[in-house]
Amino acid sequence: MDLRAPLQLKSMIKSMSDVVLPAIDPGNRMAQEQAQLILGMMHLMALRLPLQFHYDLDELKRYLGLAQELLRQRAGGEQSDACQRALGQSSAHAADVLARAQAAPRDLESAVMDLRADISALVEALWQDGAPEARAPAARAVLAAATAQIERERAWFAPQGWDADTSTWRSIESLIDYPANPSEPTP
Amino acid sequence: MRSTMDKNRPSAAWLDSLRQRFPCEPGVDDFLTRKLMARAGAPYSPVSLSTLVAAVESLLGAQLSTAFAVRAPRWLTGGASKLQMAFELDWQPEAGAQVTSPMVLRMQPAESIVESSRLREFQLIRALTGRVPLPPVYWVDADATHLPYPALIYGLVPGVTKPTRSQGGEVSGMGTHYGPALRGLLAPQFVRHLASIHTHDWQGQDLSAFEVPPTGHHAVLRQLNWWSRVWEEDAPGELPILTLAAQWLRANMPPVDRVSLLHGDYRCGNFLFDEAQGEITAWLDWELGHFGDRHEDLAWCTTRVWGHAEAGTGRELVCGLLYEEDFLARYEAASGLVVNPATLHYYKVLNTWKTAVMSLSTSYRIAHNSKTHQDVLVAWCLGVGAKFTEQLAETLAEVI
Repeated sequence: MDLRAPLQLKSMIKSMSDVVLPAIDPGNRMAQEQAQLILGMMHLMALRLPLQFHYDLDELKRYLGLAQELLRQRAGGEQSDACQRALGQSSAHAADVLARAQAAPRDLESAVMDLRADISALVEALWQDGAPEARAPAARAVLAAATAQIERERAWFAPQGWDADTSTWRSIESLIDYPANPSEPTP
Repeated sequence: MRSTMDKNRPSAAWLDSLRQRFPCEPGVDDFLTRKLMARAGAPYSPVSLSTLVAAVESLLGAQLSTAFAVRAPRWLTGGASKLQMAFELDWQPEAGAQVTSPMVLRMQPAESIVESSRLREFQLIRALTGRVPLPPVYWVDADATHLPYPALIYGLVPGVTKPTRSQGGEVSGMGTHYGPALRGLLAPQFVRHLASIHTHDWQGQDLSAFEVPPTGHHAVLRQLNWWSRVWEEDAPGELPILTLAAQWLRANMPPVDRVSLLHGDYRCGNFLFDEAQGEITAWLDWELGHFGDRHEDLAWCTTRVWGHAEAGTGRELVCGLLYEEDFLARYEAASGLVVNPATLHYYKVLNTWKTAVMSLSTSYRIAHNSKTHQDVLVAWCLGVGAKFTEQLAETLAEVI
């Protein structure tokens, strides 16, 4: 999946700068102001999106440090003790999350691209000098994997409206085992 | 192992290696080479209407010996590839009276979702003038002597690409709903024009920008090399299904039994029609035209994304116009040429592979490098890549 947020933002910024903003009625002050703000917001997103995961990790580490420092001190008082116990639980959870969040998004993306390249190289080599009997099973495996990947990509891009009826499609959330989170805000 | 080549700043050695690995038709090699040599240069910068008018005046000044005036310039939208400006031209055609003609300037941006040649497009339209409905094509600035980028000027032809009351959310003609009445009028012309193109005798016409291949495998190999090279030049990374398709295509090339002129993008959305009369007024977008196997155009039309299921029956309509078996039978009758089902299927694989290459590699690269006048549209089109890949996987599964 190569239509990622940085490319989307870059193309939107160019469109806003080169085409949309110059065409907005200079007399419409509100439209002018909001278009500039949209552009500014997109610039901010483009700059900060690549750092967001590391920012969150860093923030988690710092709050974990603060929580551990506060937990080392005697609280005293019923309410304070209760809060300290709650903080102890959330700190343990945070430490577990931190321990599990070791690979950065760019490392994931890079590992995917490496595998895509090496699988492709093997397929090409099989058709150049590989054992002929290895080709059919390799082809079937590649086709099966592609079919599953295509289903995910089609679901991912369904909101673009390329298909008139997507009502029978599985959701992208179910296809990638995205854990449901009832507290998550929906846009 | 993943290539470490920086495709945004291609080296001369890499370009040479691509040209060696994927020998293309000389005309295709020219524009692909020019594209890569300019890639590390400036992105596309907006061009104003007044700049374009001045450039058109420069081009016409070099071509016309009588007075002329370029008036009422305005942008045209439609298509994901080229930049188009409509204008009125007051001029005096050769041996004629002073007239006002509606015109269109068609200019490529710094890089395009379909890299191509304005000269080839110009020559192809000229060669087929009188054979099928076409816009009159007047002038070409093949090397951007006058315009900021290579361009051609043709006459604006009246007509629409889809019914004005169309219910579909079509992009670039995909899934156009004509409705039964228009279908009945347009479908016979759609078939007849394709047969006319494929049976056209091009001998003696200026098609110097094209290579006329011999019968056999040459033309197929040229296609495979063209789009393999585009993939190498533009793709953000490899995709095993496309690699598999390329291997299958190279191992199973059918010989071309008769060399035909091909439109290359013959489908709904690429013809204009008079809505009241149900008459096709012009075939557009000849940039992918070349010599090759008629089955390539036939398979292109029957690509499922261009058509839709018929209301009531659920049967697929080729380009929203007619059932595939009707389309092929009528084509055979109109052209006198045979349709070979196995060859047709080969080209269905080739065409869906080719469209996947365009939508997944070039869309990415040119938007990434800010090379067009509509990067946001080009990036948007990356999202349809999976739809083409889905069809590629389906057609490939039938033969692997």
